Amino acid sequence: MMDAGRHPNITLLTYSEVTEVSGYVGHFQVKVRQRPRYVNTDLCTGCGACAEACVFKRGVPNEYDAGLSRRRAAYIPNNGQAVPLKAVIDDQACLFLTRGKCTKACVEACPTNAIDFTQKEQIIELNVGTILVATGFEMFDPRRLPAYSYGKSPDIIDGLQFERLSSATGPTQGQILTSKGEKPRRVAIIHCVGSRDEHANRYCSRICCMYALKHAHLVRDKTGAEVFEFYMDIRAFGKDYEEFYQRVQEEGVYFVRGRGAEVVVHNDGRIQVKAENTTLGIPVEIDVDMVILETAIEPARDSDKVAAMFGVGRSASGFFQEAHPKLRPFHTNTNGVFLAGTCQAPKDVPDTVAHAAAAASEALALLSRGEVIISPTTAVVDEELCSGCKTCIALCPYSAITFDETARVARVNEALCKGCGTCVAACPAEAIRARHFADEQILAELQALLVSA
Amino acid sequence: MPNEEPRIGVYVCHCGLNIAATVNVDEVVQYAGSLPNVVVARSHRYTCSEAGQEMIRQDIRQLGLNRVVVASCSPRMHEATFQNVLASAGLNPYFFQMANIREHVSWVVKDPVQATEKAKRLVRAAVSRVRYHEPLSPRREDVTKAALVVGAGIAGIQAALTIAEAGYPVYLVEKQPSIGGHMAQLDKTFPTLDCST
Repeated sequence: MMDAGRHPNITLLTYSEVTEVSGYVGHFQVKVRQRPRYVNTDLCTGCGACAEACVFKRGVPNEYDAGLSRRRAAYIPNNGQAVPLKAVIDDQACLFLTRGKCTKACVEACPTNAIDFTQKEQIIELNVGTILVATGFEMFDPRRLPAYSYGKSPDIIDGLQFERLSSATGPTQGQILTSKGEKPRRVAIIHCVGSRDEHANRYCSRICCMYALKHAHLVRDKTGAEVFEFYMDIRAFGKDYEEFYQRVQEEGVYFVRGRGAEVVVHNDGRIQVKAENTTLGIPVEIDVDMVILETAIEPARDSDKVAAMFGVGRSASGFFQEAHPKLRPFHTNTNGVFLAGTCQAPKDVPDTVAHAAAAASEALALLSRGEVIISPTTAVVDEELCSGCKTCIALCPYSAITFDETARVARVNEALCKGCGTCVAACPAEAIRARHFADEQILAELQALLVSA
Repeated sequence: MPNEEPRIGVYVCHCGLNIAATVNVDEVVQYAGSLPNVVVARSHRYTCSEAGQEMIRQDIRQLGLNRVVVASCSPRMHEATFQNVLASAGLNPYFFQMANIREHVSWVVKDPVQATEKAKRLVRAAVSRVRYHEPLSPRREDVTKAALVVGAGIAGIQAALTIAEAGYPVYLVEKQPSIGGHMAQLDKTFPTLDCST
């Protein structure tokens, strides 16, 4: 993280989103919308005085702590661990920006006069030769499976919330505590919440078994509580993973083979986990004082938009579609656009790093070669026949056709054209020809195929 | 019809047993040899292998082939492989046509008689089409030597660092005010339990 923040060849554009992509392999034009931070990042030292001074004491749920703590409108992201280490004023929470009424104590408190409420969003235009999509995943929301009673007790938490509880930068400084502020005595860990489940996602999220084992270890190590793991199978497939599983078994964790069926919150607040122990063939009910729901990895919610913008397909599970599952696992069907990490499929950390580095090496091959080969199998307009009706221009899904106002004819940009043939079929004057998919070629093929010998 | 008389070579691939277990390859080869303008028809256990490629290259040179049809797998798999064979023998790579008798035939048709019949038709169609092929040349263009990485979690940071280390400028765009993604929220990572940031 720090290396990326400091590298002289990397320009960080945080609080920013790509809004528009045009061009083609080797020549992409990209528009990036940067949201205003209301903080001059050249002046801000990340000291946090503005956050201390912010009068919105009640604040909003802190996304970094997965909602387990609250933050004010002025804040240093990631509980003070942000890269870049710069303050932000949240325009959805700030009393001045939402209601126009505030004493603006942050402005007074800032020692470098960095707060600037006049900032506006900026559109940044970039020219690049290649694009890597590394938009990641989102965690499954366990509210979608009501049987697990998520939200009905503060002691039923999901895996990410447990990470924050256990983290030294989290709301309890790394102590694993129940909502009463006590160490838990019995903890249930439920695998496959939202994975391998026809009511949620049919795929295996690949990481949950291992992070559930890690959670079991951390609970045993930090609290000494009894831990019950409800699992269907343990998928410990990676290097040293099986050994880690054995280590956690030796630490005295109880493994109950069977999907956690239901979590019940009784009127007195008592929490009970119900499951079938499929090894013994008996139903089990265990009272616990903390439940950790090990949730699935899902495609990011704005995947549709992102896919359309970068010309990337999606697989049945919703993750982005690679060009070939084995031979081209980081390519897309748009030349020059590559996939890196979990936006392509669920991955653990080692696989994510490997996938991303491999995608980067493909991108580097393109950059260092310095030239691209544009396929000649494109559409071409016969300007003698073109009547200038512009029918093709509106239909082209790749915006590859422009109109020459002087000659009054349509022209195909061969670098943008994918040779899909839409314009060829639509042209009322039959003025467009698809190279390598010409009428006589296709008709000869069809005739030989369909006419009996 | 092009001016030059077509001299077509047809190569039917066994793909090990992927195709040969269902399709009667010899029968397809024999049939292909009877089609107009087909100068040579052969089979190979793995046409994509170096030996298979060399067989096609030799035929182009010695028999003066000017069109090539390979009946094997999906063009997504090996079209580029065989186009390169043509180019290396001095023939325009677009004088090539592939008939997919694996994904479209042997993997989906169970009955050997029907499968062989369908393979023959696909070969006939490819032979018929390839006569009308024209030589085409790709264009070359320069590349803007900079990269965009969208998302600054583990994958985005790793990719950006790899490209930046090679000396190219990288724009790393992140929706959140800090980079790090989910990784920055994690306590320790399995199996080594080292810290994540």
